[in-house]
Amino acid sequence: MTPATTFVGSPVSRVDGPAKVTGAAVYAADFDIPHLAHASIVQARVPAGRIAAIDTRAAEAAPGVLAVMTHETTRRLPWHPRDPRPGVDPKAGERLHVLQDDVVRYDGQPVALVVAQSEEQARAAADLVRVDYAPTAARTRFDVAYARAPSEATAKAGRPGDTSRGDPEGAFAQAPVRVDVPFVQPREQHAAIEPHATIAAWDEDGRLTLWDKSQWVDNVRTEIAHVFGLAEDRIRVISPFVGGAFGSGLRTWPHVTLAALAAERVGRPVRLALTRRQLFTNTGFRPHTESRVRLGAFPDGRLTAILHEATGQTSTYEEYAETTLTPARQLYACPNVATRYRLLDMNVNTPSPMRGPGAATGELFLETAMDELAHALGMNPLELRRANLAKTDPDSGKPWSSNALAACWDQAAARFGWADRPRTDEARRAGRERIGSGMASAFYPAHRAKARARVTLYANGGAMIQAATSDMGPGTYTALSQVAADALGLPLEQVRVEIGDSALPPAPAHGGSITMATLGNAVANACAALRETLGADGEGDLTPALRRSGRDSAAAEGASSPGKEAQEYESAAFGAVFAEVRVDPELGTVRVARLVGGYDVGRVVNPKLARSQCIGGMVQGIGMALSEEAVFDRHCGRVMNANLSDYLVPVCADVGALEAFFVESDDRVFNPLGVKGLAEIALCGVAAAIVNAVYDATGLRMREVPVTPERIVTAQAARGR
Amino acid sequence: MREAIRFGRNGTVREVRDVHPRTTLLDWLRLGERRTGTKEGCAEGDCGACTVALGRLVDGRVVYEPVNSCILLLGQCDGADVVAVEDIAADGALHPVQEAMVTHHGSQCGFCTPGIVMSLFTLYEEGERPVGRDAVNDALAGNLCRCTGYRPIVDAALDACATAKDRRFEAHREAAACALGEIAADGADLFMRDEGRFFAAPASEESLAALLARHPDATILAGATDVGLWITKSLMEIEKIVWLGRVASLRETRSTPETLTLGAMVSHADAHAALAAIDPDLGELMRRFGSIQVRASGTVGGNIANGSPIGDLPPALIALGAKLHLAGAKGTRTLPLEDFFLGYRQQDREPGEYVRAVEIDKLRRHDAFRCFKVTKRLDEDISAVMGAFRLHLEGRRIARARIAFGGMAATPKRAPLAEAALVGLDLDDELAWAPALDALAQDYRPMSDHRASAEYRAVVARNLLFKALAEIAGDAGLRIAPRPAGLAAE
Ligand SMILES: Cc1cc2nc3c(=O)[nH]c(=O)nc-3n(C[C@H](O)[C@H](O)[C@H](O)COP(=O)(O)OP(=O)(O)OC[C@H]3O[C@@H](n4cnc5c(N)ncnc54)[C@H](O)[C@@H]3O)c2cc1C
Ligand code: FES
Ligand code: FES
Repeated sequence: MTPATTFVGSPVSRVDGPAKVTGAAVYAADFDIPHLAHASIVQARVPAGRIAAIDTRAAEAAPGVLAVMTHETTRRLPWHPRDPRPGVDPKAGERLHVLQDDVVRYDGQPVALVVAQSEEQARAAADLVRVDYAPTAARTRFDVAYARAPSEATAKAGRPGDTSRGDPEGAFAQAPVRVDVPFVQPREQHAAIEPHATIAAWDEDGRLTLWDKSQWVDNVRTEIAHVFGLAEDRIRVISPFVGGAFGSGLRTWPHVTLAALAAERVGRPVRLALTRRQLFTNTGFRPHTESRVRLGAFPDGRLTAILHEATGQTSTYEEYAETTLTPARQLYACPNVATRYRLLDMNVNTPSPMRGPGAATGELFLETAMDELAHALGMNPLELRRANLAKTDPDSGKPWSSNALAACWDQAAARFGWADRPRTDEARRAGRERIGSGMASAFYPAHRAKARARVTLYANGGAMIQAATSDMGPGTYTALSQVAADALGLPLEQVRVEIGDSALPPAPAHGGSITMATLGNAVANACAALRETLGADGEGDLTPALRRSGRDSAAAEGASSPGKEAQEYESAAFGAVFAEVRVDPELGTVRVARLVGGYDVGRVVNPKLARSQCIGGMVQGIGMALSEEAVFDRHCGRVMNANLSDYLVPVCADVGALEAFFVESDDRVFNPLGVKGLAEIALCGVAAAIVNAVYDATGLRMREVPVTPERIVTAQAARGR
Repeated sequence: MREAIRFGRNGTVREVRDVHPRTTLLDWLRLGERRTGTKEGCAEGDCGACTVALGRLVDGRVVYEPVNSCILLLGQCDGADVVAVEDIAADGALHPVQEAMVTHHGSQCGFCTPGIVMSLFTLYEEGERPVGRDAVNDALAGNLCRCTGYRPIVDAALDACATAKDRRFEAHREAAACALGEIAADGADLFMRDEGRFFAAPASEESLAALLARHPDATILAGATDVGLWITKSLMEIEKIVWLGRVASLRETRSTPETLTLGAMVSHADAHAALAAIDPDLGELMRRFGSIQVRASGTVGGNIANGSPIGDLPPALIALGAKLHLAGAKGTRTLPLEDFFLGYRQQDREPGEYVRAVEIDKLRRHDAFRCFKVTKRLDEDISAVMGAFRLHLEGRRIARARIAFGGMAATPKRAPLAEAALVGLDLDDELAWAPALDALAQDYRPMSDHRASAEYRAVVARNLLFKALAEIAGDAGLRIAPRPAGLAAE
């Protein structure tokens, strides 16, 4: 009998669940490679300068040490430019040429590498390397006075310095109601629980295999090929399981190069696992960003002016920029809009995309300002949003391929009970605590990229799907199995998915919420192509057709790439988030009692996966609002809390009642599968909703996250004076 | 004398004699045994990815607790049964918590999952039924998950623990009891390797004192929740380790109507109930002490001897009134707990001396007690400020007061001026409290660090004293000892 072809849309359990709960899933650091040696990084202890002298004798003499590599003893690598640069790389500047010169660009930069028999020996010896620095002036203080406009290359890539439509300054000056809101979002870290690790092994023919933690194995291969001047087919990158990344695994970081260099030097496979502390400075982070939002409105709430300025930090050697100001241009209908984006070069390592890059930050700024505007207008914050719904993309004038934001607002408000929220001082009091409610909109542009996938069907009814994409957690294994099972007419358990290997058909970065919209369609197309090859018609189990053909197996490839819809339409995921907080005004503690998020993410391939994604994102939003901040000491230019006991990600008890749901949506204009992507949107809007709720509870306008007990108590004291 | 570490693995006794004294259980599992199911996320006890279950014989039965294997030295497994994530699916059938984690989608990336499974495993096997959301929160306080938002994991836990306990693991437990019984029977001092570099675990206080006299430079090891970090984080090259885990007399708890005496090696988990019985605030303090893993390993003696300015127990015990018992080759001595702390990370302890026990003065008639821990994150967070208050009341008048704070000075410290200013005050006259509140500013000169600024600490200390007074004034009838029966427990 043909199984019902309805896996897409149903809440099947994760296919890799059993491997994960038994410890059988293998992550980068787990691979058991014979003759493995271990490497440990020595990090710079000044934020800027030159290495005056480096003494490796004690380290070399330490037990088990195989090699100590410094810029003086490491061979020069070609570091060929990438053309074009991959989407995940900054558009200007040059990547860190690790161990190639004596320049220190930031505190924590690798300045030497120790390779030893065991990891403990490598770390102990790394501690013995003596480095003398000739420090130079460093920019370690965030001061917008030194900010500059982005380069042309960055501007062209959707991060322009200045944009304007209508007459923003004029409209603002004339607006009957105005707010002017500064805001600070600090540096945040991805803080995935798996640290980055790479094992590098060269074979006798000079071929390199890398077992790496990566969201984009193809890019690791291409990057290392360029760094070492190798042909791409000499390199293979393997990454079957990724222990969370949220963007930290998009680029190929210098430690991958170091692992390959070390393996080359000692003639053995080498593992380089970054310590939790090293992760803060050897992979990216969400950049510290400061903003000013000015909004002007008519008394009925219609926006007449949006002026949004933001300055983000980048490193001194690469120009990392974000789409922080995109929401200001696209989220609401407003005729007069100006944005100004600036960058501040600092002695830090280069930032990188972190979940909801740009949008999450921009919406924190915009949506807290919208709340201030609602209060200035004496208007229900939800009504203010409704009064400004953008029926088409206000920036380009193009239609949305789909937009159910209004449904998100309505349904999430209803589920939250927004109309009945406590509104008097009396009702907002629960013992010593104050109750507050807040809301925000969420928006994240949807994209697709090019990908291929291969399907192989076997006469015994098994099928194999292969593509070089990854699964850092959202459930690529499961969702692709569902698509293939439907398309091949097979039970789910007969489909196997193989990903995370650069030897498989090429895939784009597993990030930016594009994986399903891209790979899902490639898999569907591969299955359709196979059906055609086998001369079978539209639906049902394909194995009988294969058997009829007399073959043991048959394979086909399918591709997917954006079509003309990308020119004709604007596509985005939308959402609405409502938060209830409890604040203890004397101790300053904030607890998120409830969060309700309603999302328009297109078709939902697996409600179980999707809900889990959204709830996970919402909890990261709690962290963004209340606890996460990489504390950067501006005197020594160092992150002071580079560990998980001081960089505070939410724990189970921080999480109150959470509800995530999906409004009716199916975007077949955007792509045949109808999905829009849902990883990034889940973080957007959450922090703003919480900050707005804190205002509702306390009357304190917090204009810097995280809203820590200390900041509440200080604000309270300032108000008291 | 025994020269090998002996512990239980899947029903058999494992002997290990050639590892470095500093080897952690995690490294032994992952690198030594090539069992990579147990993960390393931080190597500092913060994330829980490395959680395994450690079983110890209690009255003939093996009782399991979750521990952070990244900061637990292999030698501390001596006499215990080690259960890792690969060990609980019997004959290919998943353990009920594994099953529930799959069904409820408790993994995304899956990297936290082995640790979470092991925390839930001990909740399932040892927790009392019914298991509610609070118990699940406690069980998971030491496990960070960056992907799922915890909800699916909580659902999995509640679901798995909703039905009657599956008895499959009992066979393992019984086999382990045999193995551990065999190890316990030897009663011998453990001394692995040589005089220059060793892991030792004397079996009595006499051997302990003698060993410490011979090696006054050795590091005393209790639960390793501090020392483990010196090794993994500070890369301290500790070569001589004297673990107190085999000295039975240091694990004793004695309770009289007036005092509670906790042996230095009583773990926070084991001290929890006895402290909660003195006052519910102490119970809550212990519930929020680190995580369940940290409480299973960490000890009362370690928290005191470590001398951290932000340790949670010392201020609470100082406010209650406590005596510290020390012992060494020269004999024993006793001093008020506050006198033990001399300066930043400096204590009144001679080389070769060790903490035996702390003797706590229980609350008497007309005593009231409060303690508060202020953190950014609700659970598993180090205090910015920790304040503890004991008042003796005569009617509505304060007759005596003891106040101690952590996080306000280089050591846990009393507030003599505020204490004096409180004496004679009326609980009902809020305005009269001001001089006592103001006096805190003279008692303490707090520091600024990345956890909190000095100004904030000062404001919070003041607010905490106010909160304590207001609470005691408010429910004086209810929470002034002796409390009516039934209110003592949490
Ligand atoms: C994740 C995490 C969370 C934590 N959270 C908290 C918290 O919330 N509150 C808090 O207060 N602490 C916390 N800690 C710190 C630590 O858990 C406690 O200080 C604990 O009580 C230490 O006990 P231990 O048995 O592990 O000591 P160990 O690490 O074994 O020893 C600590 C120190 O005391 C010495 N020592 C131990 N026992 C004796 C003895 N009997 N005689 C003489 N010297 C001795 C050791 O030589 C060492 O110097 C946390 C630690 C971690 C890793
Ligand atoms: S590895 Fe993080 S607690 Fe052990
Ligand atoms: S599933 Fe990724 S950290 Fe928990």
